[in-house]
Amino acid sequence: MKKKKAKLRKRVIIAVVFAAILVLIATFSGVLAPNDPYATNSELIRQAPSAAYLFGTDNLGRCVFSRVLIGARTTIASTFFLVAVSFLIGIVVGMLCGFYGGIVDDILMRIADLMLAFPQMVVAIAVAGILGGGLGGAMIALGITMWTSFARLARSHTLSIKNEPYITAARLQGKSGLQIMMTHIMPNILEPVLINALTQIGTTMIGISGLSFLGLGVVAPQAEWGSMISEARAYIQIAPWAVLFPAAATVITIVVFNYLGDAVMEYRNAE
Amino acid sequence: MSEYLLKIDRLSASYGDDDIVKDVSCGITPGEIVCIVGESGSGKSTLIKAIHGMSELRITGGSIFFGNEEISSLTVKERKKLMGSEIGLIPQDPGSSFNPIRKLSAQFREAMAGHGMAYDEDRIDGLLKKIGLQQGKAVLGNRPFELSGGMNQRIAIAAAMLFEPRLLLCDEATSALDVTTAGAVVDELLKIRESRGTAILLVTHHLGIARRMADNIGIMKDGRLIEYGNTEKIFDAPENEYTRKLIRDVPRLKK
Amino acid sequence: MKKQIAKRIAELIVILIVLSFLTFLLMYLAPGDPAEKRLSSQGVAVTKEVLQAEQERMGLLRPFMVRYGEWFGGILHGDWGVSFKDDMPVAPKLAAGLKNTTILALASLIISLIVSVPLGIASAVKKNSILDHIVRLLSFIGNALPNFLISVLLMYFLCIQLNLFPVVASGSVQGLCLPALSLAIPMAGRFTRQIRTETMEQLEQEYVTGLRTRGVREKDILIHNVFHNASGHIFTIVALQIGTLMGGSVVIETIFRWPGIGKLVMDSINARDYPTIMGFVLIMGTIYVVINFISDVLYHVLDPRV
Repeated sequence: MKKKKAKLRKRVIIAVVFAAILVLIATFSGVLAPNDPYATNSELIRQAPSAAYLFGTDNLGRCVFSRVLIGARTTIASTFFLVAVSFLIGIVVGMLCGFYGGIVDDILMRIADLMLAFPQMVVAIAVAGILGGGLGGAMIALGITMWTSFARLARSHTLSIKNEPYITAARLQGKSGLQIMMTHIMPNILEPVLINALTQIGTTMIGISGLSFLGLGVVAPQAEWGSMISEARAYIQIAPWAVLFPAAATVITIVVFNYLGDAVMEYRNAE
Repeated sequence: MSEYLLKIDRLSASYGDDDIVKDVSCGITPGEIVCIVGESGSGKSTLIKAIHGMSELRITGGSIFFGNEEISSLTVKERKKLMGSEIGLIPQDPGSSFNPIRKLSAQFREAMAGHGMAYDEDRIDGLLKKIGLQQGKAVLGNRPFELSGGMNQRIAIAAAMLFEPRLLLCDEATSALDVTTAGAVVDELLKIRESRGTAILLVTHHLGIARRMADNIGIMKDGRLIEYGNTEKIFDAPENEYTRKLIRDVPRLKK
Repeated sequence: MKKQIAKRIAELIVILIVLSFLTFLLMYLAPGDPAEKRLSSQGVAVTKEVLQAEQERMGLLRPFMVRYGEWFGGILHGDWGVSFKDDMPVAPKLAAGLKNTTILALASLIISLIVSVPLGIASAVKKNSILDHIVRLLSFIGNALPNFLISVLLMYFLCIQLNLFPVVASGSVQGLCLPALSLAIPMAGRFTRQIRTETMEQLEQEYVTGLRTRGVREKDILIHNVFHNASGHIFTIVALQIGTLMGGSVVIETIFRWPGIGKLVMDSINARDYPTIMGFVLIMGTIYVVINFISDVLYHVLDPRV
């Protein structure tokens, strides 16, 4: 048992290291990029990869390597932001519902149920489409349904601990509901909900880049992997590198974060 | 060596780090009834599992012989060939030894097909009647989850007896039954031994049943076989202090 | 059981009505004026009078609830409104698109199940074997691939490099292969993982040991017992994937120009053709809710304990 646990811990550490590297690359992409990702150059159109342009150049002569780096920032930052906001909304709603119950709980949970009745990507496409594109619109579109999973989880964990003796004791001491939630409930439900957030990163990334690919996410010329692939697929025959490198970056990033989610989940389940 | 049907030699077995069965040796000859008595956690059920070999259990030392074959070193697949026709098992929790959501008739059909037998409802019904289940055919149309624990137990016993094994392993075979039915099952087991010469290894926490059935009794505690001998000797002149305590604690069962 | 189903159907109807209301609300709140969009796309100079006349004509000036009631009443009678883009009725367009999307969705579902059911079961049975490791790796990667990316890669390698398929699908059987594959690959990845987990859970159940001790053949244990018991869960897994499949088909249909409802909705989004978008959301939501309802019922039929 202990051996298995140690092995799982090692997996978590490896995953964290890889994820950290990606986050660092994204954070310092401005410094790391060898060329200006937005500088067009009509003389360097669709150049094959070379020492100066590691991943080649695209249809407008922009450096694909630099754009992939800057794109990492767009994708990772917007994913983190979206997951974090959904997480916060979800945990607050879930905790309030679970702790107070009653009519507020009924209404909010009915809304969450309803959200489940809509397929997420269908809603996202319709909403992002109506909002007329843009990264903000895409994030709202995905967030509309996303908070519900966090809320459900937070609620069920709150329900399972709210009658524990230490909560009752805190009540008897005359602590207010808010105090109890902040000092006793929140710390105890944080971990499972955080792990859920971690496992959502990969799907969210797929969602954001999918919307961008459809032209419903980031607006050109901003660099984002989905939209880069979408733009460059028109001339994939002539300059496959302009598609293949952002594609590889997308896959690697999603794989790393999915692996991280899996590893943490397994580690926790082994307890 | 070969006079034994089953011979256990210095057997140790574990699920994880610590051995649950420790250095156990005993044997059973054809037609003999051996009862292993111990409290829960003594390792007696694990001993049964080690013998049938169908559970995730690691044999960490010693060996098990069936006839002249060392079965403890065989793969699960090879050992499975013995199951049913050579070695039968009446498990501790018979209800969950069947697929809870499939009709019993289908499960009997598959079990019989596994031994190259055609499905024979009359035969199963006959067996069920012997152990006091009257509407056998109707019961076979049910799924195990719809039946009581006692019913499932009797059906599991019938399923084990169906293939006339040379060795029948019983893991607390009567624990889910009321006294009358338990008595019927014990009688039926004795009859099987009588008519077919089936050897029975029965594991129980119930000394009364052991006294009524067994030729030889073994006492298990903390994974070890601390005393072994014929039934009269165990009851009349127990050597071990723990055995004496067990005998004292038994409520007298009508003999 | 019957009472429960009746109750669930009543719930279902309420959910569908709310669904239609939310859909309508969404379009109502949407920024941008369809009348203005329409006029400018026709090249009409947008003056205040012209705009107001157009809004009047398109019925945009009446109160919200009146418009919702009319729209919803129309839907019940098969009249889903007329397109803002070309004044053609929406319902036949949606129906034609839905037919093609269903073909695509079924093809991809069948492909992914044909792959994932045997692989999922085999890797659960041969847990920690080389096969299991390969299957797990492949399904993990498949699951991490966005389907737009798969479709672009498939197009590049199979159409352009190897010249095996036409680039534009446009409804032919041959053209169905790539879009169906693009949808099937990530789905197969997810199914395989879930079926593996589900099978492993069943294999750990005590009844498997019980059947083995009776000498039941492994084949019978696996197919008639383990898979039988897992199938309820597998239906649920598939039903839940339908939502992802719907979103994915919008992307894939757009890429391959497959004339399905997803391509229709992307064209409508670009034209701010609200009646078509509303129809799309309503249809997809309804299908999703109904399929999940059916899978719930099936689950109870297959495992009557719950």
